[in-house]
Amino acid sequence: MTDSGPLPATAEREEPALAPTVGQRAKRIFLSDYFVLYLSLAYFLVLMPFLPTLSNPANLANILSNMWPLLVVAIGQTFVLTIAGIDLSQGSVVGFTSVVGAMLLAATASPDVLSNAPIWGLIIDETGGPLAGVPGGIALAIAAMIAAGGLIGAANGLAIAHFRMPPFMVTLVTMIVISAFAIFLTQSENIRNLPEAYIQLGKGDIVSVYFGEQDESRIPRREIYSFITYPMIIAVTVAIIAHIALSRTVFGRQVFAIGTNRRAAEISGVPVKRVIVLVFTISAVCATIGALLYSTRLEAGRPTLGDGNFLLDVIGATVIGGTSLFGGKGKIIWTVFGVFFFVLLSNTLNLMNLSSFHIDMVKGAVIVAAALLDVLRTRLIRGGI
Amino acid sequence: MAVLLSFEALRKEYFGVPALRDLTLDIRRGEVVGVIGENGAGKSTLMNMIGGVVAPTSGEMRWLGEPYHPRMPSDATARGVAFIHQELNLFTNLTIAENIFVDDFPARFGMIDRAAMRQRTAELLSQLALEVAPDTSVDSLAPGERQLVEIAKALHRDAELIIFDEPTTSLTPRETAKLFETIERLRADGKTILFISHILGDVKRLSDTVVVLRDGQLVAQEPAAGFDVPDMITAMIGRALGGLYPDRTAAPRDEIAFSAKALSQPGILEDVSFDIRAGEILGLFGLMGSGRSEMARIIFGLDPLEEGALTLKNQPLTGGVRDRIARGVAFVTEDRRAEGLLMDAPIAENLSLVSIEEFGRAPLALLDHARLDHRTEQLKTDMIIKAGDIKTQPARALSGGNQQKVVIGKWLMRHSDLFILDEPTRGVDVGAKFEIYALADRLAAAGSSVLFISSELEELMGMCDRIMVMNRGEVMGMFDRADFSERAILAMAFGKQAAGKEVAA
Amino acid sequence: MTGSARDRAMALVTNHGTLLLFVLIILVFGTQAPAFVGPENLGNIIKQASFIGIAAVGMVFVLLTAGIDLSVGSVMYLGPLIAGFAMRDFGVGVAGGLLVAVAAGAIMGGINAFLIVVLKVVPFIVTLSTLFFFRGFGAFLTSSRQFDFPEEIRAFGLSSVFGVPTPILFFAAVGVAAHIVLSRTAFGRQVYAVGNDEAAAAKAGIRVGRVKASVYVICSSLAALAGFILIAQIGRLDTGFGEGREFDVIAAAVLGGASLFGGIGTAFSAVIGATMIQAVKTGLVFTGTNLYLQPMLQGLIIFAAVFLDSVRAARLETLRRRFIRPR
Repeated sequence: MTDSGPLPATAEREEPALAPTVGQRAKRIFLSDYFVLYLSLAYFLVLMPFLPTLSNPANLANILSNMWPLLVVAIGQTFVLTIAGIDLSQGSVVGFTSVVGAMLLAATASPDVLSNAPIWGLIIDETGGPLAGVPGGIALAIAAMIAAGGLIGAANGLAIAHFRMPPFMVTLVTMIVISAFAIFLTQSENIRNLPEAYIQLGKGDIVSVYFGEQDESRIPRREIYSFITYPMIIAVTVAIIAHIALSRTVFGRQVFAIGTNRRAAEISGVPVKRVIVLVFTISAVCATIGALLYSTRLEAGRPTLGDGNFLLDVIGATVIGGTSLFGGKGKIIWTVFGVFFFVLLSNTLNLMNLSSFHIDMVKGAVIVAAALLDVLRTRLIRGGI
Repeated sequence: MAVLLSFEALRKEYFGVPALRDLTLDIRRGEVVGVIGENGAGKSTLMNMIGGVVAPTSGEMRWLGEPYHPRMPSDATARGVAFIHQELNLFTNLTIAENIFVDDFPARFGMIDRAAMRQRTAELLSQLALEVAPDTSVDSLAPGERQLVEIAKALHRDAELIIFDEPTTSLTPRETAKLFETIERLRADGKTILFISHILGDVKRLSDTVVVLRDGQLVAQEPAAGFDVPDMITAMIGRALGGLYPDRTAAPRDEIAFSAKALSQPGILEDVSFDIRAGEILGLFGLMGSGRSEMARIIFGLDPLEEGALTLKNQPLTGGVRDRIARGVAFVTEDRRAEGLLMDAPIAENLSLVSIEEFGRAPLALLDHARLDHRTEQLKTDMIIKAGDIKTQPARALSGGNQQKVVIGKWLMRHSDLFILDEPTRGVDVGAKFEIYALADRLAAAGSSVLFISSELEELMGMCDRIMVMNRGEVMGMFDRADFSERAILAMAFGKQAAGKEVAA
Repeated sequence: MTGSARDRAMALVTNHGTLLLFVLIILVFGTQAPAFVGPENLGNIIKQASFIGIAAVGMVFVLLTAGIDLSVGSVMYLGPLIAGFAMRDFGVGVAGGLLVAVAAGAIMGGINAFLIVVLKVVPFIVTLSTLFFFRGFGAFLTSSRQFDFPEEIRAFGLSSVFGVPTPILFFAAVGVAAHIVLSRTAFGRQVYAVGNDEAAAAKAGIRVGRVKASVYVICSSLAALAGFILIAQIGRLDTGFGEGREFDVIAAAVLGGASLFGGIGTAFSAVIGATMIQAVKTGLVFTGTNLYLQPMLQGLIIFAAVFLDSVRAARLETLRRRFIRPR
């Protein structure tokens, strides 16, 4: 067999085997999976002297508690971005499913607030929702939320996969319709009076479960314990499952294949439609779990829970982590770091006593900076150095 | 004849690796120069330097004796260089006229002067004997017509040097013949042509001089008249090639493995029937638009079939792509980049894509990485894929031939009874072609049926047990190996009315 | 093709789906509430559509290059706000204020363009972050408080020329001008070329960077103009003004037939799309639909339009598949 000529591309890739210089080391850090984590830690260390409260345990716990729900939602978005899609409907799913859970579980409801809502008398009244006080009611309600969220996601996926409609438009419409529907259900009111055990999911930590009384646990609680909370356990579990699904399963490989080249994937026997539907379902289910954490923390079901800039936070954090909007490139660990950085940033800006509009401006600048870094990284990699 | 473009000790290195080594060459005005060489021989580098895409590391280019240093493509265009690439650079949402004038619209009071644009376009089109209206959307043109629009663009810009880079790959023989006539006419008008092609017969037929590059060096520059194809190949690969085609290792078996009965699909196929035996390579020859690729897509379940029946191993073949794959059908598509490969994904992921589900362990379909790595490495060695670390190197970084091996390789990770190879050697250099032929032979020897689709009749005659000819969606005839005749097959492929003229061309 | 009546009906629906949908909407609401089709109401619809419509015309330019601009909602807020400061603190008149708004919009578009064209960051991310940034800057200028414009602005906003309300005049002027630019000028055709194949456009000698930069400047300028014209009718600017409007604007452009993938769409399509959305909104008010249900129905209509569009695309693909023998 003949040699088919030199292969410049491979040749270029061979690096001279010298000891790494400082520059090369810096480059390696820059290109590593952990870059955003290093960046966050550096940012943290730099600000520590200026913001004494930053490293105070209560604040760290606060950062983490803000991180978990956002992380769960962003994980769903990571799947969608990896198949070169986008899911704008996550925020509306958060709002809607928080209402679903709350209307099923609320112990009582006030006619002053909800009597105009179409669900009044139908699902909820003064005696609360249908699952209030029912044994296992919380589990049933969560199942109902996940079913509702999952259905919405599956509907997105079906429209995108089978009718080849653009994800941006499909999920935009879903966002409009579902958030309007959620608002319609309660006529824009919040549903309160959620059972204590449900609220524990969003607020409780392991310690308070063991030590019972809130009054006791509030004061002398040892810092370390407050980090291990239910939201953390839930979010970390979701992250581990998602990581395994994306990087170690047949499904994960198929996700990347579709994101890289949908036609080639189709011809190679990848069940493209099924995977797309599944990915959008995962995204909506993650949003639902996020809704669970947000709504229990708020102690209410709120139809506008995921409105406003929420969605942009989700996409911003995911992209900062390094997941590409063009598909074929995404990792759960990137998203973990991206969310951490985003939450840390918001937190430090709050500590600096900046107002929300300053925070918006900085967030905007940081998203662009992250994207610029990504452009730079891509260039370094493509440059073959 | 005056020298239009000359290269003096032209050298280009990428990261210290020379892609072109001290090339010295003169291109005379009004000449057609064929440029040949294997992939990686330095042709693209040279063209990119002429086109202002990359700058030489050292050496000099001169245009009509003056130093020529294009820094960007528009510098080259301004000097009078035009490229006709295999992938055309036309805007399908604009009209022909708009495409020709896209970088300098004639304007009156800030508005496009459509009348002037239309008139000039009509002139150019009539020069090229293309009978379509200037306002036709490019969208609705056939590939050959689109290429003529590209040439019209070059003429409009008064290009002196027109570089054709593999121009015939997506053309029908009829369109190719027309393109060659056009090139002749351009030469008669005093234009200088660089003609790059893997189809050496075309190069010989068309060129005045043939230039051969190998490993970035000029190894031959000969008048085409005395430079025969075998000599060209010897020059390109640096030694005589024993044979262009491997010997077939086993004869087809008697049992019929695959059969198509009376396939009909309105507008595409009409009453197509044929069989392939186990271990047989059936060639399928036809012009572009004869229905060959369309039939392949139908057999693979990508396109619908209204009437007729497909049978594989005595079982009806139905369902979608996944069902066909499960039944043992493999399909190497003709468009490697768009349909064959995940260009940005690692080679190993490409190789394992088709059979990935077999590496999932129940119940969660977690990947068995050890087995997966072992299999892909084995395949890499087995298929002589020239790559570094297949788990990190993307398919994009491979040469055309090695990319094609990856596309075929992904079907070899599992057993298939029917392999459909649609133009498997397109854009692949001579050495890699041989390896692909050898692979086809191996598949057949192992008992699979192979449907080998190609527009290069020569390779079908070299490799196949039988050749089936299609025209306009119908089977025109079947040739046994003993009866292979280029003339007869071509005549049949063109259909009766056009046969005489085209074959003579 | 020798199409049956069914085929032809199908073709009619898929090719002119948007227009048919429009007619259907008018008919449905017209039969429910005859006043809906009265000239006065139709005029009102167009007037109210002018806000989203003007911005949607700008969005079409960006969509044609396969880009996207998520920052329009914030530009609608910040552009008029800066004009407001010029009017209140520097005594600039209404006409001057309008120019300041447009210029401020152009500068914001320039910032987007710089990041997209020079620093090569993808449009989605750039405009996502400037969405935060511009609004944050506006809130900083006003300390998050409502901003009151000088009284004379409402005289302008509510004025009319020969009985035609000023907003409609601006809407029409922007639509016609954009149509001419897109269909009759070199720049316009190059916008289409860039959207069809950016790499090829660069090779063909089109100054791709300049074309792309221009569309973002145009889009932001028109967004600022749209904001100013609506503010001129209200007389004050709330901090939340324009929030989330980017989606309305994109929806209007797409509803009219522009593709998110570039190269397809006309200025006319944005005008139709915006008017249609407004017709639905008004119609739902006319028929007394629950306030909270209205966005749902709008969403479903956008869905219908996008659905029709994808059916049309699929149909075109089948038609384009070259038949190699008579059917």
